Amino acid sequence: MISFDMDRLPRLIASAALVVAASAGSFYAARGSRKPFSPRAPAYRTLGPADAKVTIVEFSDFECPACRVAEAPLRAILKLHDGKVRLVFKHFPLERMHRWARPAAIAAECAGKQGKFWEFHHELYERQAEWASGKSDERLASYAKKLGLDSAAWLACRQDPAVDAAVGADYQDGRNAWVGGTPTFFINGKRFVAALQLSERGAPWVEKELKK
Amino acid sequence: MKARIPPPLGLVARALVGAVLVYAGATKAAGPAEEFAIIIGSYDVMPRDMVLTAAAFLPWVEILLGWSLILGLRLRAAAAGAGALFAAFLLALLSALLRGIPLPNCGCFGDAAHFTPLQALLLDLGLAALCWSAWKSAPARWSLDSWVEGGYTEPAHGKR
Repeated sequence: MISFDMDRLPRLIASAALVVAASAGSFYAARGSRKPFSPRAPAYRTLGPADAKVTIVEFSDFECPACRVAEAPLRAILKLHDGKVRLVFKHFPLERMHRWARPAAIAAECAGKQGKFWEFHHELYERQAEWASGKSDERLASYAKKLGLDSAAWLACRQDPAVDAAVGADYQDGRNAWVGGTPTFFINGKRFVAALQLSERGAPWVEKELKK
Repeated sequence: MKARIPPPLGLVARALVGAVLVYAGATKAAGPAEEFAIIIGSYDVMPRDMVLTAAAFLPWVEILLGWSLILGLRLRAAAAGAGALFAAFLLALLSALLRGIPLPNCGCFGDAAHFTPLQALLLDLGLAALCWSAWKSAPARWSLDSWVEGGYTEPAHGKR
């Protein structure tokens, strides 16, 4: 039985210090070196003024149900602070879980190049259950047609390695920012994951940042 | 039960459970607390405003307990603490399963590894058994406790 004894105190303190040092060491080893991430995106993937006081960077996956659910609180924030908040959309396709997430991100990019990113984005979330469950290619093409995109240009764009690389670069930005799940929002740099955190903590945070 | 765990077996048990705790805690502590908070929140066993605090705090408890077990500092207390942690996790898991809450990821190792609820349950039971072995192995020869005490004294046969 170990009891408290003043003679043993120095050794006990040294032992506790060793445990704390080992703990800190394992934390830093797991953390590795963090790389900065770019909050930039092409203009067609942003909403709101470039000099807005608040910028929301969203890492999202079109096939992720939680991302679809988070659309409502996100829209509510943007509507409430119309003209004062900037939204930057970044692709973060979780390909291990969502087979069609990357093709959908590329399809949206190609719609963006024809000025219809947000329309395609809304279509993808509203019809997520439809295109994610089968005949995905046909359905993505039908949305492009419905939105009046130039089908030939859109199809050619989907084969363009540069577009795939742009989606990959966004994904790497997310990894650099230690994004593990979607949707993840950075509101002026502060992280909020999924709809609940966005609505319960993110919305007040936006107001606080706007008052600064 | 008064039988003492042989010292080498006790050392292996506490090293194993300690390593798992350090790995589990470090992977979660290194990542964002907001993501671990989502997993804790999915169990629906604590008030929502406490979830983020718990997500920031729990991984560090795991790391500290893990190293205490590996290095043998306050071995019995560390083994009991780790055992209590696994018991609490088992209860949370069972409670979520009984309420039909879907748990796509047990959250044991953050984003580093995903386990089904059944796998998590079995892992937890195994680790709890190792905690018991670590507890039974104290006082241990190869431990900081022994150094703090100024040497290891073999307990009387059959006595704890």
